[in-house]
Amino acid sequence: MSFLNPLFLLGLAALSVPVIVHLVRRTKAPRVEFPSLMFVRRVPQRTIRKRRLQNLLLLALRSLAFMLLVLSFARPYFGSGATQKSGELANIIMLDNSMSMRYGNRFEQAKARARSIIDQTGGQEKTALITFGQSYDVQHRFTTDTNQIKSVLGGLQPGWGATDYAQALRGASELFKEAGTKEQRIFLISDFQQTGKNPGESAFRLSKDVKLVPIDLGEQNSPNLTISGAGVQPLIYQPKYTDRLTAQIANFSDEAKTGVKVEFLLNDRSIQRNEIKIAPHEATTVEFTGFNLNEGANRGVIQIEGDNFPVDNRYFITLRRTEQMKALAIDSATRGRSESFYLRNALTTGENLPFKLEIKSPATISPYELSQYRVIIINDAGGINQALAQQLIKFVEGGGGLIISTGPHTEEAAFNQAFEKAAPARLEDTVQLRGDYVVMSEIKTDHPIFEVFKQSGRLSAARVFGYHRVTPRPEASVLARFEDGNPALIESSHGSGRILLFTSTLDASWNDLPLTPIYLPLVRQMARHLGEREERATHPQGQTFVVPAAKDGTPPAVDAPNGERITERKETATGELIINAREPGFYRLRYPEISDYAAVNLDSKESDLSKLNLDEFVTAVTGADPKTVSALAADEKLGKEEIESRQRTWWILLIVALLLFVAEAVLARRTKMSRVIG
Amino acid sequence: MKLSNQESAMSMRFLAPEVLARISSLDLLARTVVEGFISGLHRSPFTGFSTEFAEYRQYMPGDDLRYLDWKLLGRTDRYYIKKYRADTNSQCHILIDASASMRYTTGEVTKLQYAQFLGSSLAYLANKQQDAVGLIAFDEKVRTHVPAHNRIGHMRTIFGHMEQLEPGNETRLSEVLHQAAERITRRGIIIVISDFYDDTEAITGALQHLRFKGNDVIVFHVLDKNELEFDFNEPVLLEDCETEEQIHVMPDILAEGYRHTIRDHIERLRDSAVRNKIDYELLTTDKPLDYALFSFLARRAKNI
Repeated sequence: MSFLNPLFLLGLAALSVPVIVHLVRRTKAPRVEFPSLMFVRRVPQRTIRKRRLQNLLLLALRSLAFMLLVLSFARPYFGSGATQKSGELANIIMLDNSMSMRYGNRFEQAKARARSIIDQTGGQEKTALITFGQSYDVQHRFTTDTNQIKSVLGGLQPGWGATDYAQALRGASELFKEAGTKEQRIFLISDFQQTGKNPGESAFRLSKDVKLVPIDLGEQNSPNLTISGAGVQPLIYQPKYTDRLTAQIANFSDEAKTGVKVEFLLNDRSIQRNEIKIAPHEATTVEFTGFNLNEGANRGVIQIEGDNFPVDNRYFITLRRTEQMKALAIDSATRGRSESFYLRNALTTGENLPFKLEIKSPATISPYELSQYRVIIINDAGGINQALAQQLIKFVEGGGGLIISTGPHTEEAAFNQAFEKAAPARLEDTVQLRGDYVVMSEIKTDHPIFEVFKQSGRLSAARVFGYHRVTPRPEASVLARFEDGNPALIESSHGSGRILLFTSTLDASWNDLPLTPIYLPLVRQMARHLGEREERATHPQGQTFVVPAAKDGTPPAVDAPNGERITERKETATGELIINAREPGFYRLRYPEISDYAAVNLDSKESDLSKLNLDEFVTAVTGADPKTVSALAADEKLGKEEIESRQRTWWILLIVALLLFVAEAVLARRTKMSRVIG
Repeated sequence: MKLSNQESAMSMRFLAPEVLARISSLDLLARTVVEGFISGLHRSPFTGFSTEFAEYRQYMPGDDLRYLDWKLLGRTDRYYIKKYRADTNSQCHILIDASASMRYTTGEVTKLQYAQFLGSSLAYLANKQQDAVGLIAFDEKVRTHVPAHNRIGHMRTIFGHMEQLEPGNETRLSEVLHQAAERITRRGIIIVISDFYDDTEAITGALQHLRFKGNDVIVFHVLDKNELEFDFNEPVLLEDCETEEQIHVMPDILAEGYRHTIRDHIERLRDSAVRNKIDYELLTTDKPLDYALFSFLARRAKNI
């Protein structure tokens, strides 16, 4: 027998009060003088004994009635039959510690449930404890020591990750192998989010020996607002942020939310504040722009107000303001006029330009100045001598990016000779379609260059009239082909740098690409891909990210968002520090001279608190008949409140106590009457 | 012995003016042949030393020739004895129980104090009526005995002795009453003030002894209210004032039996008093003294 409100049992101590009082007062009855005991002694003893007996009966009745009253308040219940079986039974308590368990006091409830399950096992059954979110952790392997496992349980805190039931259940099945028992039982304590079902794991099923007892702590309707993502340009080359910084505010509830305040803070200062309305189960985009940035890393926070789950109401981004990189375009400068007209316009028009472009002819280039550039574009430049070619290859080996565009001025033999070791492909011959054209197809849209074109599909808008037929090197990668199958864009790496080879021209001589809307983004993407270092405004929680080492090669000291110094030091082969993004917020990277930041955000999937169909879930995982599942779960998934509520033992106890009180009253009255009559 | 002013004032403290005012409004009349309390209202049946003529009676052999009316003999040759009726002063003895049980109280006045108040009030009253007042205080034996006198200053002696009474030892009431009956040689009024903790038969025997000697016996049974009601809220360890014997008592169990027993004792005392023509009055110490006296004297007056 267990109790729902065991603290009420303290009331049983009150039962001893009348007895103690009786004993104390009997032994310490006040001494009182009386003129004569002559008549006191004459009172017949027999009557006293009889009354003593009656009083004892009254005391017993009262004590029993009070005891039952106290017990009824303590709400007793009897554990289900299954829980009382002992011996060859192993339990795994799976405690969901994903971010959603921070909702309300779910996690504390979950711990309380786990504790009561441990108590029910009574130290006779082997019990293990697993916490899970995106991944799972075995907190305690099988033991019968309830104190030990409860001690581990007591120290648990909710995590920040998303939920993945299948992976966690898979882990539990593995753990059962250690138990070696015939009967196995999993207590799955969770809020049972719909998003926790991993579609990729739909085939996973627990063994038939394993009984799954789901303990559901989630409310049917848990409204929540969150910032599901942000569109941000993380690298800025000018003081002002002129792009659109967008934030998606999602409403995971059945009701529209009005007056939701959205605020953007930059380096802890409020920049902009909006008030929005969001329809149920929809997202609204909020834009921020036109704010100034400090040199270096800037911390941006988008936050919302207006719901009762503030944990996921902040979204962290880093905006880095840096100097423009230098790019060099080399063209033939035929008749003294640059042929990079379109290229120059594409790379120098607009705001927030990453590159500062210089255009030179091969003859005017000093080989020693190449190292100052991040990207060099050979725009159908003839006359590149061997020495320059060597310097260019050296430039690429040192980490530079080289874009080569071939055209009428490119001589195949000279090119092949000059870039034999480095070029992504060997030039064969020129293809002139004379009145006909081909378009680009077979595009690797998952490549960073073509990511922006993924949705539009407009790359095929450009018509190509002439190109170089090439033979790609084995290690090179063809990113795009013409519709006749010939490579259009090939990428290869050389040393620390990379080379892109476009087999047609970047001006209008062999195609009409510069005249189409895709020219500018394509050229910029190519240049950025090669020249711009990868920069992310935010990292997902639960994954790792790398931060570069300082100039002297030492990795920075890193402070987690909670202010604690991260002592775990894992480095890549190139000396970059690997950081495990455990919690949302800003990780502070302390370099010798400056401080940098990396932002980490929660998986917005976890913010959707809508519940899955429990019956379906259990059926899918265990393969049991839904009705059987319901029947089994109905008894065992019950928390102690439900078990107690079903048994209603307190009600019986209360009635018996009341009956005893009535009996006591009758007896007391009879005793009193007999005294009066006597 | 001459008492100082202070001592005199102390001695007089029992005589509360309002008590005396009440009692003065009553005529205290003796009920039987014993001399009356108040001189003039009652005539003594004894011819004696007084001068007032009562009646004539024929001489009978053996009569004292001193009382023969010689003048009548001379005129008529008949032998008549001249009888006189004198205004006699009777004796009033006040017997106060000063045993240890009399120190009990649940209020401000102990039973002994109450007995002292009552005894002095009655002594004063008797003295005012020219009666000789005596005092016997006792516990297991007679501790103080002031013989009855009617001389000036005797009352101060009575009050002085009464003032000095302290609760003493165990009571042996019946024995002491027997002793008192033997000591008081002249008939008169005997007022017994006690809590009567003794066997009813023994007490009755002793009172009968007093009565047998021709005394008019008045009994004041003084008890504390709690002795009648036995009002204790919690279990107590009762200690006998006299024997120091102790007993654990559960009041709710014992109270009814106790009350029954003591009422029975009182009723038996009252019955035996009625049978022996003894005035019996039960007084509790919470009753105003003047009220107690008044009601008793009023009843006594009515019975005459």
